[in-house]
Amino acid sequence: MCARNSLYTNIKPCKHLADYKLRRGFNGYNSLQNCLKTTRYGRSRVDKHDTTIPRCSFCNGYQGRLYKCLMCSSISCSSHVLLHTQSENGHEVAFDIDRSELYCCLCCDQVYDPDFDKVVVSKQVRDLPGGKSNGFEVCSGRSSKRRRLDSGIELDLKKSKQLISMRDRRAKSCYPLGLRGLNNLGSTCFMNSVLQALLHAPPLRNYFLSDRHNRDQCRKRSGEKLCLLCDIDAISSAMFSGDRTPYSPAQFLFSWWQHSSNLASYEEQDAHEFFISVLDGIHEKESKVRNSSKDDGDCQCIAHRAFSGLLRSDVTCITCGFTSTTYDPCIDISLDLEANNFSSSHVANKPIKTDEKMGLSTLSGCLNLFTRAERLGSDQKLYCQNCQELRDSSKQLSIRKLPLVLCLHIKRFEHSLVRKMSRKIDQYLQFPFSLDMTPYLSSSIVRSRFGNRLFAFEYDNSDSSAEYEIFAMIAHSGMLESGHYVTYLRLKNQWYKCDDAWISEVDEGTVRASQCYMLFYVQKMLYYKSNEDLSCMRISPRRDPCVSTAGCC
Amino acid sequence: MKHSVNRPPTPDAADDQGKEPTLQEIINIKLIESGEKERLMELLRERLMECGWKDEMKALCRAYIKKKGRNNVTVDDLVHLITPKGRASIPDSVKAELLQRIRSFLVSAAL
Repeated sequence: MCARNSLYTNIKPCKHLADYKLRRGFNGYNSLQNCLKTTRYGRSRVDKHDTTIPRCSFCNGYQGRLYKCLMCSSISCSSHVLLHTQSENGHEVAFDIDRSELYCCLCCDQVYDPDFDKVVVSKQVRDLPGGKSNGFEVCSGRSSKRRRLDSGIELDLKKSKQLISMRDRRAKSCYPLGLRGLNNLGSTCFMNSVLQALLHAPPLRNYFLSDRHNRDQCRKRSGEKLCLLCDIDAISSAMFSGDRTPYSPAQFLFSWWQHSSNLASYEEQDAHEFFISVLDGIHEKESKVRNSSKDDGDCQCIAHRAFSGLLRSDVTCITCGFTSTTYDPCIDISLDLEANNFSSSHVANKPIKTDEKMGLSTLSGCLNLFTRAERLGSDQKLYCQNCQELRDSSKQLSIRKLPLVLCLHIKRFEHSLVRKMSRKIDQYLQFPFSLDMTPYLSSSIVRSRFGNRLFAFEYDNSDSSAEYEIFAMIAHSGMLESGHYVTYLRLKNQWYKCDDAWISEVDEGTVRASQCYMLFYVQKMLYYKSNEDLSCMRISPRRDPCVSTAGCC
Repeated sequence: MKHSVNRPPTPDAADDQGKEPTLQEIINIKLIESGEKERLMELLRERLMECGWKDEMKALCRAYIKKKGRNNVTVDDLVHLITPKGRASIPDSVKAELLQRIRSFLVSAAL
């Protein structure tokens, strides 16, 4: 069934039809709609108001299939339609008068266009009995049997009308479902950008779309008026409703202000801080609902199931070589930008890429920096259990457990304690669309530190889950105080720029060239799976009217 | 570029342009104006479906598409393929019924 569905959506208009639509838009379709008439039997055909029979403009014939040119409305029969196309440049697509179908004269084939079908079907629904007052007159003149039949149709039509209006809204743009601008409520681009990324994170999106947080139930159960999750759920349903007019997440903003009152102001906030605080809010709310007092083990709330990973930190005493290991949960990884004058000798065990030597910062460079052993300063002596005193030590971080959704935060805002000032680092950072996290896993780090020893394999998670695909990127432009956040979303391998209320298609180059601030990667399997899911979702509303019309033929 | 395929002949109307309409045309106009043509078409559709003609044609088309590959078939090919077979296989009873309907229409319209 899925295969069939994908066939249905994959029907591409022939290039002549695509050209036509590009040139004329929907104007032609709309004017055509006005001269369509639905017959008593539920078929649509062109109805000329005068009684003259449509005739071929070449041979004056009126039999067989007649086509009306979409460009000039001249009528040709099937044997002369090609002649018309050849004599008039650009008049390739015609309209089958009796069948209300599109025909491309150059391809000699029927062509399909969902937008066109929408026009025809919506007209059909409007015309059929039940839709307009004249329907009753028609009914009254017939036998009771017929009337019953009609009322049956009427019911069906109401249903299909809803379906069509739903489809109408969903199919309005060719952008995938779920892309909707968010209005700026006064320096809230930090919020909009993070919300866009969060709601398109596959685990979270699935969570809200499968109604795992039900607003009505939540209100009944907790009795609280404000719930961050309810408001995110509301935004999520608004985003996926198919309506493309920008949405104002005002209720959410209010809830969030209640949740983190220290950030409640009309000032621009840091997107990363906001991200943390939202995840925090989700976690708090969900654990309250679950009423689980067990803080051991992994938290099962959606925020942590999606984002939480485990960091391993090894602190080695330089004097005796004793290593103490601790594990810390993390919901994102904050990376320092490599300094431009970063000398390559520091990355001892890692292969050095040429572009790193060139002084071009890369994400892998940042991750290397993150997982490299760091000698702690003499003022940061740590207590060594082995030597029983404070010693100089070195610390190395690695990733013990990777999250489903990996959020990488680039520290572009530098706060210098010494100089008591902050500044933004405008350095360009290169990042890959597909990321392999294997080199930064604890297993790899420990192995590279100790060589191929047996015990180094104790955390051998050599499954493919270290491969990630990017699905969202938040870019920051401008200065520290007055900047702007924009989210780039990658859906079905196409990038979309979400700039508050404006959504636009962009190419990869634009994305690569922008100043990334937060990067969102999702496990490769999940990325492809979620794209499949999306495509299925896109078809379902379209499929239904098709079935209903198939019954008439 | 594919050229238009062989189609059922259209009436040679070039010479009677501007002349009096033929009897056939007058009948056709009457049929359309009265809405009888629409009814006849619907009746024909129903009958052809009932007797399995439509399924038969569908099977022919399917077999042809399977043979040629889904992307290499145009609707014109199909029309060309099934028109002779389709015309030949319409049951006589259906033809007779339709003819009868047209006759009685003509009588009632008192042409």
